[in-house]
Amino acid sequence: MRGPLGPVDLILSAGETAKVIVESRAVAEELFGILAGQLLPASGRIELFGQDPAALSETARLDLLARVGFVPEDGGLISNLKAWENLILPATYHRGESPAALESRVSALAKRLGVPAASLATLLGKLPDQLTLAERRQVALLRAALMKPSLLVCDFLHAGLDRAAGEALLKAAATVAEPAPAILHLCPDDAVSARISADRSVRLGAEGP
Amino acid sequence: MLAEKIGRVVLEALRDGVGFFALLRQAAGRWRALARWPVRQVFYKQIYFTGIEALGAISVIATLAGIAITTQIVSLAGADKALTSRIMLWTIVRELGPLFAAIVVTARSSSATASELAGMSIRGELDSLRRLGIAPLDYLVVPRVAGITVAIMAVTVYFQFIAIITGFAFTALVYQSSFFTPLADVVSILSLHEVSISLLKGLVFGLVISGISCLYGLRVQHSITAVPRAATGAVMRNLIAVFFLDGVISYVAFF
Repeated sequence: MRGPLGPVDLILSAGETAKVIVESRAVAEELFGILAGQLLPASGRIELFGQDPAALSETARLDLLARVGFVPEDGGLISNLKAWENLILPATYHRGESPAALESRVSALAKRLGVPAASLATLLGKLPDQLTLAERRQVALLRAALMKPSLLVCDFLHAGLDRAAGEALLKAAATVAEPAPAILHLCPDDAVSARISADRSVRLGAEGP
Repeated sequence: MLAEKIGRVVLEALRDGVGFFALLRQAAGRWRALARWPVRQVFYKQIYFTGIEALGAISVIATLAGIAITTQIVSLAGADKALTSRIMLWTIVRELGPLFAAIVVTARSSSATASELAGMSIRGELDSLRRLGIAPLDYLVVPRVAGITVAIMAVTVYFQFIAIITGFAFTALVYQSSFFTPLADVVSILSLHEVSISLLKGLVFGLVISGISCLYGLRVQHSITAVPRAATGAVMRNLIAVFFLDGVISYVAFF
């Protein structure tokens, strides 16, 4: 059992990077859920672009969330869609972009983020269950980047991976955020997290027993 | 004890009924989601899995049913009789076509849909969709309801066609009677009323099977043991609903 999240005060402006160092995976999951409007904070308030997601109607909340690029710890991919279909899902759904037109954009984006073209082609033909954890997060990052989000929220992006793979993902996330969008890292208390360059940094734990 | 059991069953049926109509009403209000490319892909896939992939099983069942029914009718009324064609039309077009198509689809697609959605729900994929700004109702329910309904209606017509053709072909072969005469009789007797009621049954069965399957799949709690329960629950509820509605529609339309 854990208590409610401890108090934390954080304002993130466009172009800024912040990291929230959490004391456990459970705390990160709770904060991630609150940010997405799926959980209600016990007290206090969270605003995305000036609006409280939990206070909005379902349709308005979904519109608001479409402006945020979430990269969940497990990738958050849809299991019955191949990696390519996962990648283009929000772009085809929200913007009506054709898959053919997205191919060149994805290639350019992957190149910018440092994903080799050969490994990308192999990666995108697989189902999520056939991907490694790093690959699932890579697809989730590309998917978020394709939507040019105003805010990128990365949940334990480097955690559970070898150092090189984790740092490559962190570097790619920083590239996605250039030049204007803000980026919020939820990360564990480790050496790699300590090296994430951020404008603001806070620690978050659970209250109670 | 028995009264308590009956009461529980009735309450469960009522809860399912309320949930089913609420889900179907919400899905009907969101049918425009089919205009979006990814939703259309789910719709096409559903038609493929429910309709096209079922054609093999439907062909076999329709052939066997057609042969069995014509054999019984011919032994009763004789070959080359107008009555044979009329009874054939009544049994195949009015009853067995819609019913067998619904049973095959229930066996294949109802359990598949319920377990797929239950698995997605347990893995947190409904939340993943919401984080992408996509309503699960639009992406998961609307195309499945539309796809299964369209597929059942098409499969029903296909079943009727195959059963009648193979039934008369078998009779012609075994009893050395005409193949085309009873077939022409069927075509001349077939009325718009018969076709409309048959399609209405397909439509109603499609909405019921898809709606109940989605409902059972989406309402599971966070436990993997809920997946097989959702699948078997959806199949049983669908079978009962299909037989009940078949009786109601037949009574109202033909009594």
